[in-house]
Amino acid sequence: MSAAHESVSLALAELPPGSATTVEAFGTTVAVFNTGSELYAIDNTCPHQQGPLCKGRVGGTLLPSKPYAYEYGLDGRVVTCPWHKWQFDLADGTAIFDPSVRVPTYDARVDVDAGQIVISPTPSGTAS
Amino acid sequence: MIDADVHQESITIEQLLPWIEPGIRNYISNSNFTMPGYLFPNPDHLVRQDAIADAGVPGSDYELFKEQYLDALDVDYAIVNGGSILLASCLPNTQVVAGISVGYNRWLTEEWLPRDTRLRGALMVPSQQPEIAAQIIRDFGDKPGIVQVTLTFGSTSGYGQPHYHPIFEAAVEMNLRVALHQGAEGSGINAPPATGYPRYFVEYHALAPIAAMAHTTSLICHGVFEKYPELGVVISEGGILWLPGMLWRLDADWKGLRVEVPWVKRAPSEILFEQMRFTTHPLEQPSGDGDLAQMLEAIGGLENVLMFATGYPRWDSDSPSSVLERVPEAWHDAVMEGNARSFYDLPPSSAGNGANGAG
Repeated sequence: MSAAHESVSLALAELPPGSATTVEAFGTTVAVFNTGSELYAIDNTCPHQQGPLCKGRVGGTLLPSKPYAYEYGLDGRVVTCPWHKWQFDLADGTAIFDPSVRVPTYDARVDVDAGQIVISPTPSGTAS
Repeated sequence: MIDADVHQESITIEQLLPWIEPGIRNYISNSNFTMPGYLFPNPDHLVRQDAIADAGVPGSDYELFKEQYLDALDVDYAIVNGGSILLASCLPNTQVVAGISVGYNRWLTEEWLPRDTRLRGALMVPSQQPEIAAQIIRDFGDKPGIVQVTLTFGSTSGYGQPHYHPIFEAAVEMNLRVALHQGAEGSGINAPPATGYPRYFVEYHALAPIAAMAHTTSLICHGVFEKYPELGVVISEGGILWLPGMLWRLDADWKGLRVEVPWVKRAPSEILFEQMRFTTHPLEQPSGDGDLAQMLEAIGGLENVLMFATGYPRWDSDSPSSVLERVPEAWHDAVMEGNARSFYDLPPSSAGNGANGAG
């Protein structure tokens, strides 16, 4: 366990592209995603009924559109809660259906020399 | 007081014939045409029996309407929605229905509405053929006193389906509201009521909210309100207490299922509270005093979407005092007048009656 604002790390090898895992950090459980092109870290707990977001499918979504138009977008940036299908933008934690609903996000980056993924509180403090 | 749903029951197809164009008039007269009857007849008359004028005195219905209703209830404005003539919406011959609609709209705008400044009218259209309906809306939409287009709950599908959109487009273009009014479910070419045909009128009447729910959901999920942001739709005689249950369910489902209808950009309840209204008649009758007011208050936003209606002269019509008793006191002004005044953009009430010169 780390202190509330301390960074935590996990081995890069533990999170191959296309996978997700969880780490205990900042007094909560953080879901960490490696989409292959980006790393994302968000609170693991869906605000709806506490479903585990780390088990959710990562992909895109259907963007708000004109009637009868299906416009796919945000590919690789959206996690769908495995329980009731609430979708969140991994980049900022906002729910796709209503940006005023959001899960906390954290900063996840690779420390190449150490072969580690380092997760730290974001500067904007969205963990509030 | 503004009454958002009242019926002038006086017009029959025979009385309407002089207003119908010759081709269709000839067809109606020479074929064995009959207007569709009520599939679910009220076992003891649909209309208040004291609201029927002496037979054979043309025009007397208005006098009775004025005495028994407009004057007696001190009505500021009454939205007249037509009567059993609207059942024509279930006939397969759309040309005939178009002819009847035009005839009715002529009678309404030339004969009925000009009688009293308190009257506001609703156009009848052949919903079976939306392009023709739209043309009729454009032809009659700017006649004095017209504020609305009224469609029956009975239809071939939910009104959100795209083939109905020309009706909404024309209504918006002519600055008219659209009313969906109970009636004609299961008649003629219209889709059966949910789970198939009930046997009894009492079942049909108690289940009216199902059609109201179906059309409301259809309009929202097809993005009709997104496509026409100026559109206002009022549900008449469909009840109101289903709103919390259905809206909570639809909002909850939408959060997980919005990818199927991504054009529904806001919670369905938010869209509904902005662009839909609901008339009170026939207002739910709770078993205990105060129960209904308590339940209504529990649903945030309802005070802005309910519009008082008597439903005169139907058998289940509500008096203003009986509705006031059931609705939260703080809502009285909005429900009895304010909401309808703003929805229909009605000017300050005219003093007394007189010839209806302007819309």
